[in-house]
Amino acid sequence: MTSDLYAKWRYRLIPYHIVGELLAKSWIDSAIPFLILFLVLAIFGSLVPNLLALGNMSDLSRTAGEYLLIGLGLTIVVMAGGIDLSIGSVFALANLLILAVGGFVGLPLWLAIPVVVLLGGLIGLINGILIGYLRLRAFLTTLVTLIVVRAVVDTLLLSYSRQISSVDIQSAVWDFLAFGDIIGVSASFIVAIALAIAAHFCLTRLRPGWHILAVGGSRRAAHNAGIDVRRTVCLTYVLSGMLSSMAGIFYAARLASLGNDTGVGLEITILTAVVLGGTSLGGGRGSVFKTFLGVIIVVIITNSLIRLSLPSGASSLALGTILLLAVAIDVRWLKNRRKVLANAYVSPTYFALPPLQSAAPGSDSPYAINSALSVAEPIGLGVVDGPEDIILDDDGNLYCGSRDGDILRFFAPDHQRSEIYAHIGGQTLGLAFDRDGNLLTCVGGMGLYKVTKQREVIKLSDETNRTLFSVIDDSRMRLADDLDIAPDGRVFFSEATIRYEMHDWIIDALEGRGNGRIICYDSRDGSSKTVISKLQFPNGICMVPDGESFLFAETWGCRISRHWFAGANAGRTEAVIADLPGYPDNINRSSRGTFWCGIIGMRAPAFDIAQRMPGFRRRMVMRIARDEWLYPNMNTGGVVEFDLTGTVVSSLWDQGGERHPQVTSVREHKGYLYLGGIFNNRIGRYRIPGADPEWTSSASYWGASA
Amino acid sequence: MDLVRLVLGGLGMIGWLRRHADAFRGRGDSAPTVPPMDGALRPNTLLETARVLLRIDAPDSLVATRDGVLFSSSAGVFRLDPQSGTVASVRRFEHAVTCVASSDEVLAVGLEDGSIRLCRAGHDLPALVTLGGQRLVCPTALAFRDPTTLIVCQGSARNSPNHWKHDLMQRESSGSVWQVSITDGTSRRLAGGLAFPYGAALGNGDVVICESWRHRLLRLSDGSATPVLSDLPGYPARLVAAGDGGFWLSVFAPRSQLIEFVLGETAYRERMMRELAPEHWVAPSLSPALSFLEPMQGGALRSHGILKAWSPTRSYGLLVRLDARLQPIASFHSRADGRHHGVTSCVEIGSQILVSSKGGNAILALPAAAGDTP
Repeated sequence: MTSDLYAKWRYRLIPYHIVGELLAKSWIDSAIPFLILFLVLAIFGSLVPNLLALGNMSDLSRTAGEYLLIGLGLTIVVMAGGIDLSIGSVFALANLLILAVGGFVGLPLWLAIPVVVLLGGLIGLINGILIGYLRLRAFLTTLVTLIVVRAVVDTLLLSYSRQISSVDIQSAVWDFLAFGDIIGVSASFIVAIALAIAAHFCLTRLRPGWHILAVGGSRRAAHNAGIDVRRTVCLTYVLSGMLSSMAGIFYAARLASLGNDTGVGLEITILTAVVLGGTSLGGGRGSVFKTFLGVIIVVIITNSLIRLSLPSGASSLALGTILLLAVAIDVRWLKNRRKVLANAYVSPTYFALPPLQSAAPGSDSPYAINSALSVAEPIGLGVVDGPEDIILDDDGNLYCGSRDGDILRFFAPDHQRSEIYAHIGGQTLGLAFDRDGNLLTCVGGMGLYKVTKQREVIKLSDETNRTLFSVIDDSRMRLADDLDIAPDGRVFFSEATIRYEMHDWIIDALEGRGNGRIICYDSRDGSSKTVISKLQFPNGICMVPDGESFLFAETWGCRISRHWFAGANAGRTEAVIADLPGYPDNINRSSRGTFWCGIIGMRAPAFDIAQRMPGFRRRMVMRIARDEWLYPNMNTGGVVEFDLTGTVVSSLWDQGGERHPQVTSVREHKGYLYLGGIFNNRIGRYRIPGADPEWTSSASYWGASA
Repeated sequence: MDLVRLVLGGLGMIGWLRRHADAFRGRGDSAPTVPPMDGALRPNTLLETARVLLRIDAPDSLVATRDGVLFSSSAGVFRLDPQSGTVASVRRFEHAVTCVASSDEVLAVGLEDGSIRLCRAGHDLPALVTLGGQRLVCPTALAFRDPTTLIVCQGSARNSPNHWKHDLMQRESSGSVWQVSITDGTSRRLAGGLAFPYGAALGNGDVVICESWRHRLLRLSDGSATPVLSDLPGYPARLVAAGDGGFWLSVFAPRSQLIEFVLGETAYRERMMRELAPEHWVAPSLSPALSFLEPMQGGALRSHGILKAWSPTRSYGLLVRLDARLQPIASFHSRADGRHHGVTSCVEIGSQILVSSKGGNAILALPAAAGDTP
């Protein structure tokens, strides 16, 4: 029907899910100041002639460089949870001191500049001691410092201005600092950029930077983690003082003026730039790049307003209004980011399943529901929690996973006594024995692990190659599900979904997207590579005895397929059963040359219709509680036996759902079928009529053991 | 600005815009929220653990006559002995019985084909087939005001009684309540445009009816209908007067967020109704889920072998005791993991209250003292 056709093509052509994935990225916070910068450039670029001309850029970069230096210092202080209002006064003091020390006192520049920078750092140290060590309030303390240092500057100007301004600094370096250009930008800008890169590197990748962010995020937690909070805070003020005086030096080089309004109101401008960029005044969040954007915006606005010849108060008014708007948008964004992300991330798509085959009880369909498994004896009733997969070794001991991240062992022959064989963490899902008797397991949330016969837990793989054009970083694994081992030792395992964590598996079901993949781990070199991608919740994997292919199940795709990884057909994938009336989970070999597949639930017509209406599913997810969502019907499950041609040989069910409502895994061992369920508190044991009482899975894979 | 608002408001535009905006965003009146079962409606298992007096297919319409307790089951009316539980057939009809009411002489029986038979010892009165000139389609409840006046609830002008699910999912409100004289067949309409009136009782001389799809009780007096009990957490069925001036209200199915949501999703609803059988719809149900083909909600997932009592469910068993002012004072529940669902009628007889669980295929007996205010 036409609405289906429209839905199918609309959801195939428009990659709407990318919006949500972009919003989930950590750098998306910078998007708003970037947008504002873009708007400012567009608006003022058209209003003001030659705004973006090279000569003007060079002029702008001088102011921008100075502002960026001070802004850098203020950003570091704000990220640690404080504020520094004295930056303007330190700027003015440095301006005065460099002209005095370099000019009047006559020290050479290579000495004068470090002295002035250190003196700025000294004032920062005073701030740091008062705020960091004596625990005074940052706002008031730096306000006082602002007033005191301003008073010092005024006093010095009053007494010595004539002496200082009588001597000019004659130096090529000095002139270069003032008027020099490198590739069209000023020296101050270059220095500022270099320091900004260094600061960014330090803040994001070095321990002192992490300490600053930690202190800003939560002082108490940082203290509990062992960080020296007082020293960190003091350090940020010292840096701020040093950077402000560096800016003052560049200013002095440029203007060589001793006005008593130098740096007045500068702290407001720089604060505007920092907040505009998106750094949170509460601390703990922010980056150098954001301040850079803020500074550029502020410089362009100020410069443009001057060139537009607006009256003198207009610049401050405009800046103030923009600051107000920027803060409002940023605050709302910070508060609502989670909600916007939650709404935008879920992206159901159109998925049309093949017509539903009848599984009516008593019909002649091979899937006819019966109550065969309702007599399965329980193993570990009440002891196990969520045994998704089970496996037995040559001695008949039974191993299973659990929701707590354990691997439990039930001792042969009666499986009454149990112990924790190994504790891994996460949720232990698929299990397989390799040739040497090591137990390999897929751990949901962690990856592929191996438990040796000495019970040592070794991580085999938790990382694979990153897909080139994927917005999501899919090099990490979120839900490694089932595995199987090829004759040459390579391990093929499934990752059910790259978009959701394990506890959100139902949202992946409601999306109906091909979010999963199958990965191959090669034990010879420890590498992992994605073999097949864009699968709908790939789950069970089982090696076909020919040694060249494996079967895999796609749970929400309701299909079982076969993939060749070696031999003449290598690389080919084809469907074996494409129209299951239920949701397949793990697949394992049987003694008769066929395969067992656990069925975790049955297709219901109401849910199948919903899979063709993505808008309906999206609104359902957003508007009603999770417990109320329409789920795939997982209260009826069982086991299907099929062969490689896709013929269903037999099926066993628990119609009432009392003992085995969902069967996630089924393993044949010596004439019995062992049933696992991810939401169950038991393992089931069912006697297969007429099955080979000596057949074991490990003999089938690796040959009879000695 | 005020003038504009005045004009718009006068045209009712603001209300219309707000309703449509709400429907688009799923907020306000279109929000799929459901009132919680709290206070007097706090869940318990009294109905689930009640004594089963009789197991029979789809019992309904319990009514007390001077000859004993009668109930209907498919196309027959039966007499039930409250002490021993024995059953005797009274009358059989050609169509399924939908509602029963009795005065001293006449037994009024509504049938699936839309007619109301008036049975009397001796010979029957002529059946009622029209109301106000139009054909009777859906008799859902009957109540005798006096021996010659019958209050008739027509649930819908489009759907017959066993298509109640269609009526709900189509969001119909074509029901009406009539006062009919059984001697001469004249009828007078008391209220129209109702969303499936399913129960009628006399209280203080007024007729009180249950409007199911709007989950509320209305008092009809002097041509106007005033809501007296709104925001029920389920769809009310029959209302019957209790001994001390109060009432017993049966609630035949629960409301749930998913169903409220689906009621607002026109495209999905229409597709579902077109392509699926009614048992497989996302709609309330009289009986607990039988087949895996029925829709399942997340909270109903069996975990560790347990279906939680508070799971979201499409069927529920609820009987509410109301006082004389029609406010709930006590309730009897069969929760999500129970089987005595789909309570459609009850009757107080002697020291017992008999309850028909149509979805649980049983008639239950509760001790009469259970209904007293604690």
